[in-house]
Amino acid sequence: MKRIFVVSTIIVLLASLLSACSGGQSNNGASSGKKVTINLWSFTDEIPNMTTKYLATHPNANVEFKTTIIATTDGAYQPALDQALAAGGKDAPDIYAAEAAFILKYSQGDASDYAAKYADLGLSDKLVKDAGIAQYTVDIGSKDGKLKALGYQATGGAFIYSRSIAKDVFGTDDSATIKNEIGPGWDKFFAAAAKLKAKGYGIVSGDGDIWHAIENSSDKGWIDNDKLYIDPKREAFLDLSKKLKDNGYHNDTQDWTEAWFADMSGSGSQPVFGFFGPAWLINYVMKDQVKQTNGDWAVTEPPTGFFWGGTWLLANKNVTKDKAKKEAVADFIKWVTLDTSDTGLQYYWANGTMKDGEQGTKDSVASSVVMSKSNGEIELLGGQNMFDVFVPANANASGKNLTQYDETINKLYRDQVREYTAGNKSRDQAIADFKVQVKDQLEIDSQ
Amino acid sequence: MRRKGVSYAKYGYIFCLPFVIIFLIFSMYPTLYTAVIGFTDMKGVIPKPVHLLDNPFQNFRDLIFNNETFRKALLNTLLIWIINFIPQILLALLLTAWFTNNRLNIRGQGLFKVLLYMPNIITAGTIAVLFSALFAYPMGPVNSFFHLMGWSDAPIFFLQDKTTARGLVGFIQFWMWYGNTMIILIAGVMGINPVLFEAAIMDGATAVQTFFRVTLPSLKTILLYVLITSMIGGLQMFDIPQLFLQGGPDNATLTTSVFIYNQAFRGAYMYNRAAAASMIVFLIAVVLSLVLFYFMRDRDAAELKKMEKMMKKAAKAAPREV
Amino acid sequence: MELSQNKKSFSINMVIIYILCILLALVSIVPFYIMFINATRSTPEIQSGLALLPSTHLLSNWNVLLDKSFNPFKGFLNSFIISGGTTLCAVYFSALTAYGLVAYNWKLRQPFFTFILCVMMIPAQASAIGFYKFMYQFGWTNNFLPLILPAIASPTVVFFMRQYLLATLSTEIVEASRIDGAGEFYSFNKIMMPIMMPAVATQAIFVFVASWNNLFTPLILLTQRDKYTLPIMVSLLRGDIYRTEFGSIYLGLSLTVLPLFVFYFLLSRYIIAGVALGGVKE
Repeated sequence: MKRIFVVSTIIVLLASLLSACSGGQSNNGASSGKKVTINLWSFTDEIPNMTTKYLATHPNANVEFKTTIIATTDGAYQPALDQALAAGGKDAPDIYAAEAAFILKYSQGDASDYAAKYADLGLSDKLVKDAGIAQYTVDIGSKDGKLKALGYQATGGAFIYSRSIAKDVFGTDDSATIKNEIGPGWDKFFAAAAKLKAKGYGIVSGDGDIWHAIENSSDKGWIDNDKLYIDPKREAFLDLSKKLKDNGYHNDTQDWTEAWFADMSGSGSQPVFGFFGPAWLINYVMKDQVKQTNGDWAVTEPPTGFFWGGTWLLANKNVTKDKAKKEAVADFIKWVTLDTSDTGLQYYWANGTMKDGEQGTKDSVASSVVMSKSNGEIELLGGQNMFDVFVPANANASGKNLTQYDETINKLYRDQVREYTAGNKSRDQAIADFKVQVKDQLEIDSQ
Repeated sequence: MRRKGVSYAKYGYIFCLPFVIIFLIFSMYPTLYTAVIGFTDMKGVIPKPVHLLDNPFQNFRDLIFNNETFRKALLNTLLIWIINFIPQILLALLLTAWFTNNRLNIRGQGLFKVLLYMPNIITAGTIAVLFSALFAYPMGPVNSFFHLMGWSDAPIFFLQDKTTARGLVGFIQFWMWYGNTMIILIAGVMGINPVLFEAAIMDGATAVQTFFRVTLPSLKTILLYVLITSMIGGLQMFDIPQLFLQGGPDNATLTTSVFIYNQAFRGAYMYNRAAAASMIVFLIAVVLSLVLFYFMRDRDAAELKKMEKMMKKAAKAAPREV
Repeated sequence: MELSQNKKSFSINMVIIYILCILLALVSIVPFYIMFINATRSTPEIQSGLALLPSTHLLSNWNVLLDKSFNPFKGFLNSFIISGGTTLCAVYFSALTAYGLVAYNWKLRQPFFTFILCVMMIPAQASAIGFYKFMYQFGWTNNFLPLILPAIASPTVVFFMRQYLLATLSTEIVEASRIDGAGEFYSFNKIMMPIMMPAVATQAIFVFVASWNNLFTPLILLTQRDKYTLPIMVSLLRGDIYRTEFGSIYLGLSLTVLPLFVFYFLLSRYIIAGVALGGVKE
């Protein structure tokens, strides 16, 4: 019995080992054919799914995509990508994606030398201008005026509010009126919060909701002259956050937790008026969470312009060494980021027509040209055309207050703010601890 | 142990050769490599020419004297290890005593053994998802329960509290590993010469006396093994603090491994400092192990003598054994 | 009278023992139970709290999983090759090393054993950075070998097996097989391995579980999608921040643990029977 078990285990193992090896070989055999192989690295399956559409709409394209997807949750995407870029060779990424939290590292920071200039791929600045690409995404993707990364999405943020609560508290759900009730500026926002509280509503779900608006509306980023710099607007987050908590203006949730999602369907401890967010928050997150509140939402301009998230596409500079590869890579990147025609990715993306014959998810895109000819009416917003709000929102966002360490520093800062608002330490102590942690972890001193 | 086969000695070398070769390639070389990096200025994403530092110990000095976070990480690691290990070894010993006590003859002990080891099977990813959901704030099962029982008026932010967070990580480690420790300890007890137990019974020793006077002393080597592997495991604690709490809140569950990982693979990519920190941890492991060895060995000789005495006694008491 | 009192306290003890064991067993099972139940529930149901009974969304969770380019069969195969290979390497070569340490009298035997004890003290992180750099330079990424081969040198397993041999191995067996004219390797494979089976099985469980659940080394070394292990795939699921599908995450986690269950229960009779480890020094 024992022996049979052991022997059969070994046989199964050997067989699977062999099949794995031979499988690998046959793969290699196929790829050594005529087709150009593009190694594509991403952190979600969004861009890999685009390749399917690309191949379907470009039957003559002589390429195949080999995709690598590594999630950012466990912090593994960047280490793996960096190692692969540094190692080079056949398996090196040809096209790679970067998220807003760390794009600066690849477009302007330490790893920017790996990225090809779009100009070297034959994608000129004129194309960018003609497509009406949101300026902040260009700023983020450029180093010393040379463009290296572009996105397909634009993630300018709006304030997404509940129509029924707006009618109850402000007497109307009209987007222009609500815009003036909650802004511009945080003073008016908090005045609105007090009115909402009087009727038993919270204005937002948690302090994370206002953080993205504050982060991307500050004048400077975290690093100034190689030193840690705390922008006054970012420092004010401590006080605003505390104010929200002490007055019970929010449900004290953290973004991306179950309690936060619950507030989208109105099942939290008190009904919540709204959320700060870009179009993707509406279509990818809220859509699955709103349930019976579907259609009871509307968007308006936020108290302060900001953007949140987004994905940028970069090409390895080594692809320019091989003409066939360069052209293949350039064509795909152009199709994704700069093609404003009805068969370009962004048109499908904006109109939710990625899958044939199926109404998919609509999203705000980088090109204002595409958005102006697309239909942004969605059911969740009661039929409001969201592009009316998101085109100006994309223009109001700034791409000049980012640094390559944002992901790490933001986490440290928000942890300390939470310590302060939870009453665990004083305001000064929280700032002091924040500075120490930045120094210890990143070797960046304070000013 | 006496073996006469001088001519067989070469097989000793041959049988141990694969271990040595693989160890040299996959463990020794990378360790030395890491040690060397600790003395250099290797950092940043892009490989640059690497130099030895003018003051070779600069990284080590910075870490020890000039890095509060690293010291905190060491302290956290120690604290979490203590809250995990002390209950773990005590419970494992207790269960071992029960399961190996023939007088108790616990029914279903096979099933218990199998079940108690099970938490070890669960992945850190599962634990992260489960425990975050259980202790969610402001709404979550544990909060609802506290509210139901009237223990709390307002929802409690469990994972924002440093003590609770450390306690939870410690508890998870304890819960995952006591079954494993128990199985090894039971194995150790089963290897003890039965004559010793019989002698103890003859002398009219109670179960408690037998456990402390006979079982524990004979378990020395196995206990040492458990202590060392658990200590090394404790120094390496990574998955749970990283996946469950990302080292938070306010670095309360930042262990040395999480610190090293953050240094090497996030933010500024300071391989040199990460390597230096690794070496400091290694040195701590060596020192602690030596201390353990010293304590265990010191008493071993005395114990051996004691045991010999008991053996003689046993031999006298039970001559038919031979 | 004294006797009956003893009996009473004995039975009270027994009650306490059983209560504690049952409690511990429950605490062991509950997380698995929640996980399996949640795998059949929809995300909103999971968000509304715990439940004791399964729901009806198993199929839709399964479809979400497949839709997310989660390929459980490929992941299972990859995980199985890695963990199986690691386990075989670890137990076979450790048994070999342990046997070499116990059965033969060679000059460097004691120093080598001390050396193994020292190696046991090297925390994995001490070599991790060097190991990753080395493997990248060597071009051994997207290859299962760097995940399997290092298991050949597993000091803790060697230690365990050595203690086991000290308690079990009798000179007579070795001598007998030599008189029969068996070669050393032959007698190790045919006679010693079966004797060591309880220790091998126990360690096989430990090694297999650790390897199966290992997330970070494979995460750094395996970057191609068709090489992913199950834990990597689950971590990917959690990484899709736009839509957190808790139901399918729990299903993915459950799928990850099922093969471990099978493996564990197949070998669990060795845990029940236990193995004897020699504790006394030579």
